[in-house]
Amino acid sequence: MKPLARREGLVVRDLPDETIVYDRKRHQAHCLNRMAALVFRHADGTRSAAEIATLLAEGTPREREAVVALALEQLSQACLLDGPAPVPATARRAVLRHVGLGAALLVPAIASVIAPTPAEAATCVTSCVGQPNGTPCNCFAPDVPCGSATCVADSCNDGGGC
Amino acid sequence: MASLPSLMPWHAPGTRLLERIDRLRWSAGTCVCACGWRVGLRVNEPALLPQLAACLPPGWRPAASPAVDAVYSLWVARDRGGVRGRNRVYAGGERRASTPDLGHALAVLESEIRLGLAMAARGRTFVHAGAVAWRGRAILVPGRSRSGKTTLVAELVRQGALYLSDEFAVLDARGRVHPFAKPLSIRGASGCDRHTRRHAVEDLGGHSATRPLPVGLVAFTEYRERAAWEPTALSAGAAVLDLLAHTVPARLRPAESLHALARVVSGAALLKGPRGDAAQTAACLLRTVATAVPVAARPLGAGR
Repeated sequence: MKPLARREGLVVRDLPDETIVYDRKRHQAHCLNRMAALVFRHADGTRSAAEIATLLAEGTPREREAVVALALEQLSQACLLDGPAPVPATARRAVLRHVGLGAALLVPAIASVIAPTPAEAATCVTSCVGQPNGTPCNCFAPDVPCGSATCVADSCNDGGGC
Repeated sequence: MASLPSLMPWHAPGTRLLERIDRLRWSAGTCVCACGWRVGLRVNEPALLPQLAACLPPGWRPAASPAVDAVYSLWVARDRGGVRGRNRVYAGGERRASTPDLGHALAVLESEIRLGLAMAARGRTFVHAGAVAWRGRAILVPGRSRSGKTTLVAELVRQGALYLSDEFAVLDARGRVHPFAKPLSIRGASGCDRHTRRHAVEDLGGHSATRPLPVGLVAFTEYRERAAWEPTALSAGAAVLDLLAHTVPARLRPAESLHALARVVSGAALLKGPRGDAAQTAACLLRTVATAVPVAARPLGAGR
């Protein structure tokens, strides 16, 4: 089976040592280190995992195969592969056993975040509109201790209101 | 500051909710432009129109045409029989606030307009961050609300940095930060919105930057009691992910956002860690940006 990385619906941005991949469908951003990015690029549906492993410059053949297996597993978990990872899941610990300490750069890694909605990214004045009843809020009624107010039916229960 | 033109905004047909709001008796309106975004405001009390200028984002200009990209509405309620009426704020067809406190309604209106601009500004990427300038380079402090951004920005200004913004780092395609010098919103000791006070940067003895600047330092930090500023360096990729988490148009324009963020991190020191005292942290940040030669941390996954 020949792994095929997704190409549709992605924004890919290369940095000097890493690659950022933004998934427009899931609104997730992933940071791929050099090894994960290399496997992502070569997983084009024309090469098997073993063939991709031969393209890596570093490590022994056994290490390279383990690294490619781990990278494909991580890419699959990040939904960056079309279909499942084509090789059995490989525990990171097992790969690390295969990869020598001096070859730490070989280990693929992917970090991910969910992109915020505009409102999540920005400062908002607290408002009870649309909030579930009981949501703690800071409203604007005078002479009420801060933090004691909650939202009730789109308004503050402190007599102020949001 | 230019005076607000008296101009009732006109917008393209919208939702049924917006059409219902359109049918209310709006008696005064104005139209302005900021970063290529045309926005209209309308109220049912003409006397209130001059007060709306304080709700507009820095850098607004009067618009000549009533055609707008977005419309915001403030309905001021009258008290009846001793019962306080509720003022209502609408962003397009959505109700954003219903409150007897006019000051609160105006604060919501201002916040909503800034968010609208941050989403729609052409050629600009708005990142939720404090920003100052020191020796020709910008320091960004991205973070969530109530993470202590404004406190740190105010302290940086007191120590001589030029003010860019306490809310948004406004990036262009080259990764430079443009001034967005709204008054600093400093919350009371309780951290409560109700006790927020606005301070012009001059009140702090500082000045605003007047031109776009490249970024020299990005400091991801938030206040923690008794913490000391002992940051770790981030890789460029990790910093882009962290910045993206505070980027308003991240979902709307991911390619443009990533382009700007990649330019930011390419020339900046990238540090992360909790901070304690704002004055001590500010002094450290100023020293760092004055001496920093951008050295990216090892990329993600390097070493164990």
